Amino acid sequence: MRIVTADVDACVACRDCEYACAFEHGGDFDRAASLIRVNFYAEESAAVPLTCMHCADAWCLDVCPAGAIARDPATGAVAIDAARCAGCKMCLLACPMGNIHYDAELGVSRKCDLCGGDPACVRFCTSQALRFVEAEDAAEARREALDASLKRLVRAGRGGR
Amino acid sequence: MTAHLAVVGNSAAALSALESFRRAGGTARVTLVSAEPGPAYSRVLLPYFLRGKVSRDGLVIRGPEFYERMGAELVSGVRVVGVDACARELELAGGRRLGYDGLLLATGSRPARPPIPGLDHAAVRSLWTLDDALGLDPVLRPGVRALVLGSGFVALQAAWAARCRGLEVTVVELDGRIMPRVLDAGAAAVLHGRLEAHGVPVHTGTATESLQDEDGRVRVTAAGLDPFTVDVVITGTGARPNDELLPQALEKGRPGIPVDAAMRTSVDGVYAAGDVTRGPTALGGPPEIHALWPTAVEQGRVAGANLAAELAGAADAGPALASAPPAPAVTYRGSLSMNVTEMFGLTVASLGRFVDTDEDDVLVTDGLPGLAYFKLVSRDGLPVGAVALGGAGGAVILGRLRPYVRWGKPLPELSSFLEGRVPAFLPGRPLPGPFAGLARAAERS
Repeated sequence: MRIVTADVDACVACRDCEYACAFEHGGDFDRAASLIRVNFYAEESAAVPLTCMHCADAWCLDVCPAGAIARDPATGAVAIDAARCAGCKMCLLACPMGNIHYDAELGVSRKCDLCGGDPACVRFCTSQALRFVEAEDAAEARREALDASLKRLVRAGRGGR
Repeated sequence: MTAHLAVVGNSAAALSALESFRRAGGTARVTLVSAEPGPAYSRVLLPYFLRGKVSRDGLVIRGPEFYERMGAELVSGVRVVGVDACARELELAGGRRLGYDGLLLATGSRPARPPIPGLDHAAVRSLWTLDDALGLDPVLRPGVRALVLGSGFVALQAAWAARCRGLEVTVVELDGRIMPRVLDAGAAAVLHGRLEAHGVPVHTGTATESLQDEDGRVRVTAAGLDPFTVDVVITGTGARPNDELLPQALEKGRPGIPVDAAMRTSVDGVYAAGDVTRGPTALGGPPEIHALWPTAVEQGRVAGANLAAELAGAADAGPALASAPPAPAVTYRGSLSMNVTEMFGLTVASLGRFVDTDEDDVLVTDGLPGLAYFKLVSRDGLPVGAVALGGAGGAVILGRLRPYVRWGKPLPELSSFLEGRVPAFLPGRPLPGPFAGLARAAERS
């Protein structure tokens, strides 16, 4: 399956992904309702977009007391069935990433559903920081990035660059 | 011949175990025996049903196709009355016997009955089973007077549902404050005020002395209160485990079937999961009963995987070695209490150990955006529990906090964590590198 990943070096915090997500799911540009959130770190001039990772072993899915969370067989997305959701917020408490949000107006939980396989956030990302990639490749890239940063740290520790 | 797994129960722990059993490659024939009729429904949602948030159909969480897909037979509406662990047989009501190679007891718990004279009055109800909820539904009419006995999770959700439907509700709690097991004293005080603001008088530290019939209604006598009359009494005074099927495994005077980290009981071939167990906890200390939905799901997963391994081993080795189970395939990291609901306009959430002692460090604040109350308890620099009252954001903060509590990891810098600026990560599994990203950004600038 494919998931949305973010290259934090490329993200410029334009928040187009948030607008695109809000429009796709809510029909307006209420950024607060977006299911992808860009954390902006002013001091470090860094931005980190965060959205659901559609965990292979999704605790929110297992723990939902309404049986409202299921994996979409077509896209692999972990998706909430709003018609079944009771709004009990157990999934908010289960997600270690804070990637599930509560819609107080409708009284249901909401999360990324990968837009049926063509995520709007990725389509409208101006800097191509967001990519829609195979989860396994993403894990590989993550390992490489971690290796690289470890090497950098080791080099820095030895006083070199 | 294929082995046979018998599961007693048909709720969170049983269903989770069944799924986990198949996922782990368990090929045995499976029978679920449930005292309640019909397919599985969600107990957690019963108050939501009474509030009209969920339909009756919405309570059903597994339909007949689920059991078919899982290759399991559901025998529902039949009580298991005994376990013959030597013969490996269940005795069902009506005399039928059901042999098993592996057994999972996921029998849950039932409402505790406080020792109050008159509790058997027809107008005294609880909110525990689907039948309870269906029976209460027509009773909850505007203007009806209700007494809620107790102030735990179930009691106050019942009170909120009744209040939402226009009843005159009074809460009487024996303890000195409301929600003694779900909230700390500070949060309880905030919620207490909220109940009163919604027109629900709360009498804490008050013993209910008797309930007497008064033309079909109930005359309530409670210490320190003028006697009053109500149309319905809803009890919510805690739960006790349905642990009678395995008396030989119980510790004297302590309810709950003791289980190890593999969810094995002390009886060969018998596992237990969910509300019925007394098991290991994430924060260490003596085993506890954590009668919570998430705990039941977690324990069921562990039991299911280990039963798959045990029954596979039994099939390979033949009956002679069947009583020497292999090393468990999966062990439980221990239960971590987590609660969340919405009542009286507040999201009420708690995690881990939130009642502090002298040795703890405590942060209490009403200054976080959207939260009326937030408390974080830590010991030796490690977070052990938290409480949040207010908006739904409190549940999100507690969710992000949960891995740190479960794994005993120090928190990142607190203010940025609480503001949501630092994404949580699971220790040992770095996520797409916010921290690496920060380092690189610093290098560039």
